[in-house]
Amino acid sequence: MIGGRQPLRGRKLGDRRVRVERPHAAYFRWTGKGVMTAKAAASTPTTGAGRAWAAVRRFFLGRPLASVEELGERLSKKKALAIFSSDSISSSAYATDEILRVLVLGGVAALAFGLEVSIAIAVLLIAVAISYRQVCLAYPTGGGSYSVSKRNFGRNVSLIAASALLIDYVMTVAVSTTSAVEQITSAVPALADQRVLIGVAAIALITIGNLRGLREAGNIFAIPTYVFIGSSLLMIAIGTYRIVIGGERDEFQPELLDQVGAIPEQVGVLLLLRAFAAGAVALTGTEAIATGVPAFQPPESKNAATTLAVMAALLGTLFVGITFLAVNFGITQLEFPETQTVISQVARRVYGDGSIPFYLFQSFTALLLFLAANTGFNALPRLLAILAGDSHMPRQFGLRGDRLAFSYGIVVLAVVASALIVFFNGETYLLIPLYAVGVFIDFTISQAGMIRHWLRERPPGWQRRLAINAFGCALTAIVAVVVTVAKAPTSLIVLVLIPSLVMLMLTIRRQYEKQAQELHVREDVVFGGAHREQRAVLPVNGINRAVVQAVTFARTIADDVRAVYITEDADEGEAMRRRWERQLPGVPLVIVESPYRAIVEPFVAYLDVLAETWPPDREAPVTIVVLPEYVAKRWWDRVLYNQTAKRLKAAIVGRENTVIADVPYRRDH
Amino acid sequence: MSESHTPVFRRAVVALAGEPGDERIVRLVSELARPIHGELAAVHVVEVGWSLPLDADIAGRSEEVQRILDNAESVAEESKVRLESVLLQARDVGAALVDEATERQADLLVLGLPYRKRFGGDFAIGRTIPYVLKNAPCAVWVVREPIPEDQP
Repeated sequence: MIGGRQPLRGRKLGDRRVRVERPHAAYFRWTGKGVMTAKAAASTPTTGAGRAWAAVRRFFLGRPLASVEELGERLSKKKALAIFSSDSISSSAYATDEILRVLVLGGVAALAFGLEVSIAIAVLLIAVAISYRQVCLAYPTGGGSYSVSKRNFGRNVSLIAASALLIDYVMTVAVSTTSAVEQITSAVPALADQRVLIGVAAIALITIGNLRGLREAGNIFAIPTYVFIGSSLLMIAIGTYRIVIGGERDEFQPELLDQVGAIPEQVGVLLLLRAFAAGAVALTGTEAIATGVPAFQPPESKNAATTLAVMAALLGTLFVGITFLAVNFGITQLEFPETQTVISQVARRVYGDGSIPFYLFQSFTALLLFLAANTGFNALPRLLAILAGDSHMPRQFGLRGDRLAFSYGIVVLAVVASALIVFFNGETYLLIPLYAVGVFIDFTISQAGMIRHWLRERPPGWQRRLAINAFGCALTAIVAVVVTVAKAPTSLIVLVLIPSLVMLMLTIRRQYEKQAQELHVREDVVFGGAHREQRAVLPVNGINRAVVQAVTFARTIADDVRAVYITEDADEGEAMRRRWERQLPGVPLVIVESPYRAIVEPFVAYLDVLAETWPPDREAPVTIVVLPEYVAKRWWDRVLYNQTAKRLKAAIVGRENTVIADVPYRRDH
Repeated sequence: MSESHTPVFRRAVVALAGEPGDERIVRLVSELARPIHGELAAVHVVEVGWSLPLDADIAGRSEEVQRILDNAESVAEESKVRLESVLLQARDVGAALVDEATERQADLLVLGLPYRKRFGGDFAIGRTIPYVLKNAPCAVWVVREPIPEDQP
């Protein structure tokens, strides 16, 4: 092969051909006129350390995916239901507990209102779900309440919604994980002291699952979600049959109040309202589908809206159904002699104490709670990416990793949620007050945004839609206030965090805007060639191959080339000058004697002097500081070389009218 | 009887003319190659006139020529088949194709026959296809482009 062309002989005399090498083909592909697309090989690290790191990532995360493979990573409705609704659906496992925990304060008479309260929450759920269904259809780019409020109220309100969402998603991960760990430690009490470690390890596993990409995450999470849904529906069906047809009913035990340890209250509106607010925790996670619309297979909006409707129907059925069974079987949560949740007691009653179906049901309930954290991992990185796209968050959050996942957002979420678990010692009840406040603020903003949307757009049937959103808005606003008051003072932290996050996001945006203004180029300006004079200045440490190569390069970019040699020894300087003039004639050498042995500062001072001696009536020239650099073969050699050059660079970078040019010299060249 | 288990080919050379029909041929052969794990080589020959030396720097610098082979690679990749792309310069396209197929011990050589709309529309068979049909040691498939619907 000569010059990329290999002559070949044919079968017949005179039949010759030349095979032409295609050096670009290994790394690039011409895909259009003047357009090249990089192949995977072009993204492969070239250094040993880079290759080793890539191998580690491939082992844990799988092979890198090209952007064109993204469509294959979109979620079908079945997978999306599992991924986005694990948080929502799992809340049916503890929402009834929260209602009965409040109602028990009013005694047996109050507990009888459990079903009515759960139905009221189900109505709220329907209102919120219908609202978010409309959000999915109206705002297909995702973002949920952030998109809605941005469009309808402008930047500041939308950032409040975004802040509330960010807090909610982080809390979803933290609370779901600690709840799941508590299920494990309830089963194996010996692990109780390790709950923080187990929680952090679980988050690490979920993080890896998400970094691998959506499709794999869907496979991981789909089975437990569907098994929980199926076994819960079966439990409700059997229980309802036994209550309605078999007439099997029990009353609440009056001694329940002894467990409460609080002063009994009168059954009044306030108590019912507090129970309503407590049970409304069931609605957390409803937002996730609206935020994740772009993750659905096309038609994204329609599929997301359908999935949301199915999720709301399932959640409502499970929540009301479990509460119905609990109220009719006279069940409320027990703290003594051991903690028993409502759902576990219902399952024990329906499936039979100690039966295999009971243990299976309990296992999947615990697993689902564990996996509910995944909703946050799917939604928060997408929201951060949208915020990054709007310049409210660092742009790294908009970048996708090897597996098309928003890696930065996933890792940041994992770190923050883990820190919360460590800080709160893995105790769910300490985390709960921070939860749900943000989500109801968010619901309220979103539905208020939809009211404005209908008033502005006025499509056919807008009055009915507006009424639904107004109803939902009023309900969620009341719940937001009640939840905040009921969970004070811890819940007030959220009210401090939200404005702090808004300020942070506004500051980031201002910084990006300032930078964009500084870099802005007017579209009507045509730029000609270079018009400023250029001069090259080389700091040299002697005469060697690296210096000679740098001088040669400097001569190609400027007519005015000068070298600067800084020394503390005048005789050495004179010897250097004699050699320089002999070997590199035509390039002036300036000897700078440095009695204080400094190198960087005298060189910078020399540049200052050069700048000041330039005639003031002429445009200042571009001074190119050409740095000869020796490139070590191995990374551990590098610490031995170029340290002065690095200090010089640090001192000069950003200097007016000054450009730095590194001229690397490789030993093998 | 046993022929039904014999793969259609093991190693095929696909000649690319830089015509719109190239994609159809590559897709067809790729789909056939996938289940039998057949080897594919796409060959594009740039004919060099006698006024220039055969090894003149012509094809290597041409983005258009490179794109013909890159497109073929891309189409094969969509069918999850690996395709080796070969760029040749020769005095005669037919001879170069036959020699390349022979050297690679290909058992199939596939060429396209484009439909020319000019002069009332016709399949201009040219001299390459007859040469290949006459001289290729392996099986030769000529894939005729469909006649456009707007043609009489």
